[in-house]
Amino acid sequence: MSELFLSSMTQVIPITVIRRERVLPVPGAVLVRVNERLQAADIVAEAEIDPKHYYLDVARGLGVSAKDAGRHITCQKGDRVETGDVLAGPTGVPRRTVRAPAAGRIVGINRGRILLESFGQVLQIKAGFPGKVISSDGVQAVTIEAIGTLIQGVWGNGLQNYGVMRLVGDGPSSRLQTDQLDVNLRGAVLVAGICDHPAPFHQATELSVRGVILGGMSSELIPVARRLPYPVLLTEGFGEHPINAAAFNLFVSNVGREAAVDAGSAWPQPGQRPEAIIPQPTSRQVSHPDRVVTLKPGVRVRVLKPPYHGEVAVVKEILKRVETYPSGIRAKSVTIEIDGVGTKTVPLANIEILQ
Amino acid sequence: MSTIPDADTILAVDVGSVSTRASLFDVVDGHFRLIASGRAPSTVKAPLSDISEGVRMALDQVKAITGRKLLDDTDLLIMPVTSRGSGVDTFVATASAGPKVRTVLVGLMPGVSTESALRLADSTYLDLVGVIDLLDSRHESEKIDLILSARPDLILVVGGTDGGAQDSVLQLIELVAVASELISPNQRPRIVYAGNRNLGAAIADRMGERLDIALAPNVRPSLRVEDLGHARLALGEAIAEARNKRVHGFDELEQWSGGTMMLTADAYGRVIRYLSRIYDPAKGVLGVDVGATNTMIAAAFEGDLRLSVETNLGLGEPLPTLLRHSSLSDIARWLPYEISERAILDYIYNKSINPATVPTEEADLHLELALAREILRLSLKRARKRWPKGRDIKSTWLMPPVEPVIASGSVLARAPRPGYAALALLDALQPTGITTLVLDPHGLSPSLGAASGSVPMLTVHVLESGSFVSLGTVVAPVGSARMGRKVLSLHLELEQSSEDVVGEIRMGQLAVVPIRQGEHAHLTLRPERGIDVGFGGPGKAGALRIAGGAVGLIIDARGRPLVLAKEPDRRRELNKKWLYDIGAVV
Repeated sequence: MSELFLSSMTQVIPITVIRRERVLPVPGAVLVRVNERLQAADIVAEAEIDPKHYYLDVARGLGVSAKDAGRHITCQKGDRVETGDVLAGPTGVPRRTVRAPAAGRIVGINRGRILLESFGQVLQIKAGFPGKVISSDGVQAVTIEAIGTLIQGVWGNGLQNYGVMRLVGDGPSSRLQTDQLDVNLRGAVLVAGICDHPAPFHQATELSVRGVILGGMSSELIPVARRLPYPVLLTEGFGEHPINAAAFNLFVSNVGREAAVDAGSAWPQPGQRPEAIIPQPTSRQVSHPDRVVTLKPGVRVRVLKPPYHGEVAVVKEILKRVETYPSGIRAKSVTIEIDGVGTKTVPLANIEILQ
Repeated sequence: MSTIPDADTILAVDVGSVSTRASLFDVVDGHFRLIASGRAPSTVKAPLSDISEGVRMALDQVKAITGRKLLDDTDLLIMPVTSRGSGVDTFVATASAGPKVRTVLVGLMPGVSTESALRLADSTYLDLVGVIDLLDSRHESEKIDLILSARPDLILVVGGTDGGAQDSVLQLIELVAVASELISPNQRPRIVYAGNRNLGAAIADRMGERLDIALAPNVRPSLRVEDLGHARLALGEAIAEARNKRVHGFDELEQWSGGTMMLTADAYGRVIRYLSRIYDPAKGVLGVDVGATNTMIAAAFEGDLRLSVETNLGLGEPLPTLLRHSSLSDIARWLPYEISERAILDYIYNKSINPATVPTEEADLHLELALAREILRLSLKRARKRWPKGRDIKSTWLMPPVEPVIASGSVLARAPRPGYAALALLDALQPTGITTLVLDPHGLSPSLGAASGSVPMLTVHVLESGSFVSLGTVVAPVGSARMGRKVLSLHLELEQSSEDVVGEIRMGQLAVVPIRQGEHAHLTLRPERGIDVGFGGPGKAGALRIAGGAVGLIIDARGRPLVLAKEPDRRRELNKKWLYDIGAVV
């Protein structure tokens, strides 16, 4: 049998090379150079998005035939124009003209029609974490590299920020509560266990926190989380799920360091996951994460379903037979060793590789 | 036609978003049989973004079962079969996996060409992100902005009957061209034109060099004629192209299959249409498939296929979308135990994050089947809007007679007992009259559809072989009666036994008479006045020969439409009782 791949893998790595591509949804301009060192808040690329277009009918505007319209056009493709600039005409006794309805750029002239593109909103993309630019296409994409701790999550509210990491509560299953949030946490990235009430989120907004990292959150809070001004990252999922032991240990050992929380973006790249990146100073050679890890005994995995949801374990054996579970479902299975729990059999479909 | 097939060994691969299946068929005693099937996680998404590994794992499983070598040392498919018995004679492939194809539909008349194009879009893997038509009151500039902000992969342009409207169609295509040229070349959408055929050459002349445009025969050649088949092929190519740009490995399958690789939905529709020509012409054939990212409803009436692909309804990643159409209480009403709405919501979002997971706890199993019921119910309701007049949802709320119902999808196939799948199908589809529920546990239907071009008898042989599991014959009387009142009497004579079953069925009852697979029985039904069991009208009695199944004869007299008890405890008790009655729980 060839190697066995699982469809899902999460990276929780103490130190590795982290490369991330920042890509504009449309071509624009890359503002950084290769080998340039960046801070998390640096803007790496920008583009105009969703500009408004005006498709101007010169013939109708000037009261001439469509055939004649072309020779009355006074602008050229590529021209920049201001509101009210004459684009065609004047013609006839009334001196009729076609004027620019907005400031912008002429992007097309065809069959007596002018296409004016007004200036749209400027979309800026930040580096997201401190690192070095290693490649760029100059117009749309930048690749940034850093060395640090990488902790991937499963859900994010679509925002990014960067700040000093603080632990709230006393363990991976600690419930985020308002009375734990005081001025000492102002501007920090908070790491807590679970959240099942909107009040702590609102309290954290008052404190201008830079991010909240949780194991689990009630799914009822999704609309609240999406309206928050800071990133919210879940490492496990929805419900009362503590942060997995591997990730929690890394958070604990990095308290006080700065962490970048990337809780997803409006323009996600294929395979991009919400994640926390903690830059680490190091002079030694650090390896890249494995692109794929095959499942075999000794590999570290995480359980994705109750009753051991979120537990980190080590594969002992990939079973050849199918197992029957309390639901009556029969599934290809694997035996795993869960620290502090013992050897358990779970469906192959209910684990993912934890790198 | 000879019963000895020319191509003996057929390998079929279907690449789904969560699972990749490989099925090996061979000839046994002059008939095709499923020899082995393998299933592996699909590797369509990152980090691999290459379906090849999933395909190889599925093929490995087939090899492990059969001992047959399928790939050579360089991982290429061995074809045809060698003298040492390695390889296969025919390879077919289908795929539903891959990113959604964002599509803007541009049409002329809302009720005519645009309606046909919408029907076409609904029958394949398109994510419709915008519609523009001639009666659209938005200014041209706004329509250009709509196309740009939609960031489409594909623009489908229809309009005008052949020889009909020209100027309006040309105006629309000009607008599409203006918008498309504003998009950077590497992100520019493909344009499929399936309108007035007489304009094809002019459009190709005018825009062929500037834009990626494909011409297809008109979807509406005349006001009374609709032809979606050819345009579907052009769309299939556009979808495959968009998919191949982002995921690797499809070209290899395309090569192995000699360029005949199909979209799963098209192949699925083909097999259902084929069956509708074999089964009772008075009824339709219904196929339902609940997948992880799509749900397919295929109904065919004497060859007239109505295929519907719900790209936003599935038991995986798009699961939260279900909540746009169903409430948590809609889902909870199918549960036999109390599960809080908060827990249901958490489950939905977690399943969306990890779509391949399986329910190991009993409560989770019931919840997944409840979600499947809601997905099927909604998908069917939408699909029936496009069914032929008299069978569509406007004509009748009740499900028209179909024979058989073929169901697939992991949630049904992996149910621990056949009663679970049978009850989920009865609740969601609410068939009327007499029908047969058939389960396709290996998800073979698309493969059979894909192979039917080169090996036409494969479908019939495999259907007869037992690879499809008959759950049983369903009798669902229609008519109003008080709860507990007698609705029909039945007399069942088993062919392999001298013991007859005689009984009465009362309103509200769900009754099962076990008849084993392979056994047959003679069933006589005498409905009460006002009760219709499908013998030509209310009160009409009749008899038929029925085949056994994994559940047996199921008489569902719970009423059509099925009205669940309002009081939660009572409703849960009834759900529990019905699971017990149908043999899902013992």
